[in-house]
Amino acid sequence: MNVDRDRERNEGSRVQRPMRRLTPTQIGLIITGLLILAFAIWTASSTRRDNPDKLPDGNVTAARAANPQQRCAAQPTYDLIKRELFRRAATLRGSNQAAFDKLAAYAVVRVDRPLLASEDEGTGAVGCTGSLTLDLPPGVAVVGGRRTLTADIGYTLQGAADGNGQVLTLTNADAIVTPLATLARTGGQTLEPQAPTNPDPLAPGPEMPPTNEGPPRDSSPSPAPPPPVVERQSSSPSFNCANARTRGERAVCSDSRLASLDRQMAAQYRTAFASADRRTRAELERSRGRFLGYRDQCPSDDCIAETYRGRMREIRDLANGDMR
Amino acid sequence: MSEVSSLGPREAATPVLETRDLRRSFTQGTVTIDVLRGVNLAIRAGEAVALLGPSGSGKSTLLQAIGLLEGGFEGSIRIAGQEAASLDDNGRTALRRDALGFVYQFHHLLPDFDAIENVVLPLVIHGTEPAEARSRAAELLTRLGLGNRLDHRPAKLSGGEQQRVAVARALANRPPLVLADEPTGNLDEHTADIVFAEFMDLVRSEGSAALVATHNERIAAKMDRVLRLHEGVLE
Repeated sequence: MNVDRDRERNEGSRVQRPMRRLTPTQIGLIITGLLILAFAIWTASSTRRDNPDKLPDGNVTAARAANPQQRCAAQPTYDLIKRELFRRAATLRGSNQAAFDKLAAYAVVRVDRPLLASEDEGTGAVGCTGSLTLDLPPGVAVVGGRRTLTADIGYTLQGAADGNGQVLTLTNADAIVTPLATLARTGGQTLEPQAPTNPDPLAPGPEMPPTNEGPPRDSSPSPAPPPPVVERQSSSPSFNCANARTRGERAVCSDSRLASLDRQMAAQYRTAFASADRRTRAELERSRGRFLGYRDQCPSDDCIAETYRGRMREIRDLANGDMR
Repeated sequence: MSEVSSLGPREAATPVLETRDLRRSFTQGTVTIDVLRGVNLAIRAGEAVALLGPSGSGKSTLLQAIGLLEGGFEGSIRIAGQEAASLDDNGRTALRRDALGFVYQFHHLLPDFDAIENVVLPLVIHGTEPAEARSRAAELLTRLGLGNRLDHRPAKLSGGEQQRVAVARALANRPPLVLADEPTGNLDEHTADIVFAEFMDLVRSEGSAALVATHNERIAAKMDRVLRLHEGVLE
């Protein structure tokens, strides 16, 4: 009997245990948790739909919905800043708005230490500050042959009155806008409405002699011609295509012509790096990230090919001490 | 209030600058401050005019308006024959670029660019060929005694040298009108006298007109004409 009673007690316990987990309070907690989870998944999927390379209205709306600090540091905000910088530069220059617009797509903006400076809960406007760096694409430069411009700027974001997009206001941007208005091809030609897919985007000879930071131009050896581009038919670039992740990497892996350019560029890079001084090595490494950024933004294989050729000229110029 | 009496007799021809009933107010909360209360002035080509007045009299606000640097003004501003109010944003930018030069109390040079590049920038933006722009910049800086400082960045220059670069930058494109707001206010008296004399020599030799805001009577006395701004109106 005792054994039977114990068995009944144990079986009863087994039966009652699930009942305890489903008390009304627990059910309420579970439902609440599921709702939170569903909301989180929905929010995440909405964010993923944003294309960081473009500024569709949905993207801007997502940025606006983010918290103020995130809005200061969001990629769509940086894209707005970039477009505004190029717009102002084109206006200051008084021509070539189309050329500036195209080049803006290939330029890279980054903001170090983006900080929320002010917030107006009434209007939804946020004021931000940060140290902005604008990297220009290969083949173009401003006065002095510079391709990187920096300035501590302020920027304010506010939803447009019609609810469509955001309005950006820049302050203290003259240190970038003014030199940007002198943008020219590094061969010194007048800027034409062409993207960096121009057949010769990195022709040597910036329009301005270097400043005191670089070696005297007269004492520099004449730049060697760019290495011949022998486009061998091979399907393997310099990296393992099994690890290809970016748009540029996938394109290179799927086109033998691009793969060949990649191998040549990589070989040239290794040779230049091996014989470079510390400063040049640092510049080679720093400019490498910029090159990869441009390559991965390219909309076509031709653009990628030209970016590789420009990169090879850049490596050559760095190795020859022709670029700061 | 109109101040037609401040217009000189010769300005009726073709003034490089003319303002009519220029007004500017600032509102803070329920308080409205009328900073400019109907300014009428005219400056003819090549004329050097001092805008004299104590701090807070509206000198800088007037220069901001004439320089097309801010909106919110009422009245008329004509620069080189163009009515600013009739221009869109691009048009105002072009007018500012082509017709005006600026010298501020603080030099506002670009710190990452050396002296000659700071002067080359407005020339290239204006459309001058790079080689010609460099030649012109070097010539101006050499005339200002900076021939051996061409490749020095602003941080490596003294205050007087920085301001000389700013003067060269303002006059690089030979603008019809140079606006200067306390151009030597950040310099010691001795250096200020030298730099201002060089500034005026350059203005006159380049054939530009100048409107110089200052509270310094001694500097004002060196100009062709003195306008006194008091509480937002010209006396």
